[in-house]
Amino acid sequence: MSTIQEQLRTRAAALLESGEVAEVITWGAGRFANQTTPVFLTDPADTGKAVFNDYCVNTLAKYTLAEKGAGKLAVSVRGCDARGINRMIADNQIKREELYLIGIPCAGMKDRLTEEPLPKCVECTHRNPVVYDELLGEAVAEPGEEAIEQTRFVEVEAVEALDRELRLAHFEDVFNRCIRCYACREVCPVCTCRECFVDQQRVGWQGKQNNLAENRYYNLTRVFHIADRCVECGECARACPMDLPLMELNRKMIKDLSGLFAAGEAGLTSEPENALGRYDVNDVEEFM
Amino acid sequence: MLLRKTRLDDLLAALSVQARVYVPALPSGESASRFVLVQQANNTAFDLVNTTMPPKDLLFPQTQKMYRYGFDDEGSAFIDPIHDADDTVLFGLRSCDMRSIECMDDVFLSKGYDDEFYGSRRERLTTVAIACAEVAETCFCDSMGLNPNAAPGADIQLSPLADGSGYVVAAQTGKGEAALVGWSEFLERESGEGAQGTPLLSTSCTLKVNAEGIKTRLDGMFEHPLWDEVSKKCITCGTCTFVCPTCHCFDIGQENKMRDGERFRCWDSCMFSSYTEMAGHHNPRADKTSRVRQRFMHKLCFFEDRYGKSLCVGCGRCVEKCPVALDITVLIDEIASAVPDTKEVTDVA
Repeated sequence: MSTIQEQLRTRAAALLESGEVAEVITWGAGRFANQTTPVFLTDPADTGKAVFNDYCVNTLAKYTLAEKGAGKLAVSVRGCDARGINRMIADNQIKREELYLIGIPCAGMKDRLTEEPLPKCVECTHRNPVVYDELLGEAVAEPGEEAIEQTRFVEVEAVEALDRELRLAHFEDVFNRCIRCYACREVCPVCTCRECFVDQQRVGWQGKQNNLAENRYYNLTRVFHIADRCVECGECARACPMDLPLMELNRKMIKDLSGLFAAGEAGLTSEPENALGRYDVNDVEEFM
Repeated sequence: MLLRKTRLDDLLAALSVQARVYVPALPSGESASRFVLVQQANNTAFDLVNTTMPPKDLLFPQTQKMYRYGFDDEGSAFIDPIHDADDTVLFGLRSCDMRSIECMDDVFLSKGYDDEFYGSRRERLTTVAIACAEVAETCFCDSMGLNPNAAPGADIQLSPLADGSGYVVAAQTGKGEAALVGWSEFLERESGEGAQGTPLLSTSCTLKVNAEGIKTRLDGMFEHPLWDEVSKKCITCGTCTFVCPTCHCFDIGQENKMRDGERFRCWDSCMFSSYTEMAGHHNPRADKTSRVRQRFMHKLCFFEDRYGKSLCVGCGRCVEKCPVALDITVLIDEIASAVPDTKEVTDVA
């Protein structure tokens, strides 16, 4: 039985050779040991550069936006990548027929420096791709409800349990440390506005100063913008150079939406069934 | 002269009576280190190879208020500059950080324009460098013409003793000599053999890159197809520019109230599309290829044209923090082995 990496290389070469796809978006080796980096393969001869190991930390869905147009794109998708793709299709960012999805079951990735499992992978709820055209290797066991219960909302509940003053202090500490590099926005598969509110300078929603007020405004507005569409890939928190716990706020929204509107997980299908995108006369109004 | 580590805290306490003293620290509960005021540094980290955030914000804050303006009660207009410089000691910076300050000095204090906001802080800053006892895997300063064991531009250089007990202290500028007077009660004379004989730790980078002649090569590579390749994975966030010790681009804005307002400047990033956006939406660097090229060209070519040194000091912060591992060291090596684009017309003189 060949490894997933070998199959990935073989399939990437075959897809490019046959002309079925114009480009393969996957992972390749970085400079350092146990480091990978996104690669974009167009020549079958280069497909030996494709890598799949325990250190494929990047979620690839967002790249389809920049790469589309040149022909069909093949993308390596695990649970997180696939949910991002589904949500992008639901948001009319890309069409399913523009993509060829190489499904890869994923047991979770590791931080290359600490060798610890990535936090986003510990909190993962879908290890197998939820959509694909072909699946490499055997499906892996999903974490199971009990494990999910022990990880998914744990951070949120810890913050919820704080006194109001401590909770405020916690968020002020987080926002004070934000340097507003916007890495969280740029990696996010559901942050797909052609012009982000941050960049609408003539309107002036977002001031350019780095201070608590502006940082809080940025982070909270982003959370609200992606509220019911966040696919919980955890890329924002992974990408953050200041290691801010950005998934806390996203999961708080998800938790509340699930309680208020019985909202399901985003990105499991490509249907645009986000809780805040439809109205039901039976919706709770307790917050009005 | 020797400074024993056992006297370090006393020295820092004494220095902070006269000045704001910043030291490398990893604040508890955080995983991003930075230079912190010594009184607030609950977790000093002199052993860190590099702080996550560079010390540039001490001279060039991410947001700096420049002046207040408006109308006073009599209806006359006023403009009041804001100067907030204070005597400051930057204690424990590395060779790369020191070189980065020299680069910023070039930008803000040379070529006929003295930036008063940068200048007033710089004038009151004393730099105390500590030579690197070890390097990170992402360190490559010695390939960029620096020496991890010596920061010649620093006012005072500390060099770690091989036995780990302290540092050899040497003033390297007039400012450093003057500062050392206040250090004397915390220092020891070197016994017996003197400075020459004191065994010091020294190190060199394990990561070597081929930056030899890179500026000249880049002169002919503005239209090279390599830029399309390297920029594909870039997500155009500002991480590299904000963790970079030498990136110094800023924007100027204002906050207006009814009768008065404040003008400020704040870090900007050439990775952002708004950086070059002009009135009427025209953007000369609208695509990411041109933005990625700009950043690396500025680091490795344009700055050298203007100031005679590289704007990349090899600290490795961007290598470490780029969310997609777009690695300047890989790029430098690719440039070194790139086949020149023969179509290029090169006349930069």
